[in-house]
Amino acid sequence: MLSVKNLHATVEGKEILRGIDLEVKAGEVHAIMGPNGSGKSTLASVLAGNEKFTVTEGSVEFLGHELLTMSIEDRARLGLFLGFQYPVEIPGVTMANFMKLAVNEQRKYRGEEPLSAAEFLRLMKEKSAVVELSSKLTSRAVNEGFSGGEKKKNEIFQMAMLDPKLAILDETDSGLDIDALRIVATGVTKLHRSDNATVVITHYQRLLDYIVPDVVHVLYKGRIIYTGDKTLALKLEKEGYDWLINEYDK
Amino acid sequence: MDRIFEIVGDLRKVGPEVFRVESPVPQPCVSVDPEHLRVELAPGAATHLVVLHTERNTSTLDVELGEGAQFEFTELFLGETFAEVRLSQGARSRCRMTVVELSAANASYRIDLNGADAENELGGVFLAMGHDHCVVKLHTAHNVPDCRSNSCIKGVAGDEAVGEFSGLVYVAPDAQRTDARQQSRNVLLSDTARIETMPQLEIYADDVKCSHGATVGQMDADAILYMRQRGLSETQARQLQIEGFVGDIVRRCGVEPLGEALLSLASERLGRQDKE
Repeated sequence: MLSVKNLHATVEGKEILRGIDLEVKAGEVHAIMGPNGSGKSTLASVLAGNEKFTVTEGSVEFLGHELLTMSIEDRARLGLFLGFQYPVEIPGVTMANFMKLAVNEQRKYRGEEPLSAAEFLRLMKEKSAVVELSSKLTSRAVNEGFSGGEKKKNEIFQMAMLDPKLAILDETDSGLDIDALRIVATGVTKLHRSDNATVVITHYQRLLDYIVPDVVHVLYKGRIIYTGDKTLALKLEKEGYDWLINEYDK
Repeated sequence: MDRIFEIVGDLRKVGPEVFRVESPVPQPCVSVDPEHLRVELAPGAATHLVVLHTERNTSTLDVELGEGAQFEFTELFLGETFAEVRLSQGARSRCRMTVVELSAANASYRIDLNGADAENELGGVFLAMGHDHCVVKLHTAHNVPDCRSNSCIKGVAGDEAVGEFSGLVYVAPDAQRTDARQQSRNVLLSDTARIETMPQLEIYADDVKCSHGATVGQMDADAILYMRQRGLSETQARQLQIEGFVGDIVRRCGVEPLGEALLSLASERLGRQDKE
C-alpha cells in the first residue's frame, strides 16, 4: 500500500530525514517510535504533503500513485489521513459543516455522488459513537474550546468519517489521560480492517497496549535504525533507546 | 445574487419617502436603493427593515425611534453606494443593526442615544476584493446617562483592495453609567491589500465603562493546512475560514435565509480571487 524508498527531507536547509525506507501493507499496523527530534513528526508531515518541508531525494508510492508529486488535498482524497499532534482550532466553522465538505470532496474525487443531508447526519451519528464523542461537540466550531482529550478524540472521529486507506497518527496519545487514551485507542482498533492500514507514531508503549502493532520501527537521526515485532516496544519501554542508539552511533 | 433578490422580493416594500410604524408587532420590510428615506417608529412600535443597495448612487436614511421602540435594521451593499444613516434613539429603545458590504461602498453611521436606557448593537462586515475601497464610519454618541452601545466591525481585504474603518464613541459630560464597547477585527488575504482602522474614544463623563480594540491579522496557515489534509481544496479552506470569521455577524441579520445567501455570495467573491 505504502512504499517509501530512501526518503530525504529538509526544513530550512536542515536535513531531518536521511534515507527512510518503509513498507506498509494492507491490514498492517505499524508503530514508529524513537527519541525526541529523531524525525517522527517530520516523516508524517512529509507523507501528508506539508509544504514546509522539502524532499531532496527518494520516492514514495501510495496505492500505485507517486505520492510526492500530489497536492496535500489529493493525497487526502486518495485515502491518506494524518491525525495531527496539535489539531488546529478553526473559529466559527462548525464540525458538521467542515466534515460535510470534506466527506463530499473525497467522494467527488472517487466519482461518487455527494451524501444527502439525511445520509450525512446518519453517518455523523454512527461515527461519533466510535469515539464516544458527544453530539454537542460535533455542532460546535472545529476544535474551538475543546480539551486536549476532546481534540484527539475528534481526530479519530474525523478518521472514522473519512474512512482512509492509510491513517498516520502523529502522537495521538500525547497529553491524554488514561480514559481518553483507552477511548482513542479502542476507536482506532475498531476502524482497523484487512483493507486499510495504520501507522502509529508514539513515544510510549502504553498506547500499544491497546493498539497492537504488527511491526515496530525505531527512528533515530532521520533513519529507521531497527525494526522488530511488538515485543520490541516492550523492550524499549523497559530499557530505553540507549542500547540501540549507542550501537548506531558507533 | 439572484437568491438575495428572491428573498427580499418576498418582503413588504416600504414607500419612497417616509416610513412610519405604529404597530408593536414587527414585520420585515424592504427598501431597495432608497435615495432618501425617513423612518419613524412611534413609541412602543417595532419593525425590521432591510435596506439593499445595488446601484452606484448616494443614499441618506434618517431614523427616529420613539420611547421603547424596537428596530432591527439590516443594510446590505452590493453596489458602489455612498450611504449615510442618521439614527436617533429615544428612552428604552432597542436597535440592532447589521451591515454587510460586499462591494466598494462607503457607509457612515451617526447614532445618537438621546433617551436614558437606550441600547444599540451594531455588527458590521466588509469584504474588499480586487481594487475595491470599502469604508465604514461609525459615530456613536452617548448624549444622556444609562445607555449601552456595542459594535463589532469585521473587515476582510484581499488582492489590492483597501478597507477602512473609523469609529468614534462619544460620551457627553453628564452621560454617567454609559456602557460602550467597540471592536474592529480585520484579516488581510494578500500582501498588497491594506486595512486602516481607527477606533477612538472621547469621554467627558467619569462614571463609565468603555472599551475599544482593534486587530489586523492574516489567514491562519495551520488551519488551511489542516483543512486541506481532510480533502478540501485551498480555495475551499480559505472560503471556509473567512465564512467562520464573518459568519456570526452575517448570519444574525434577522431574515433567516438571507444570512446564508449572503455568505455564499461572499464565498463566491473570495473564490473569484484565486481564479483571476
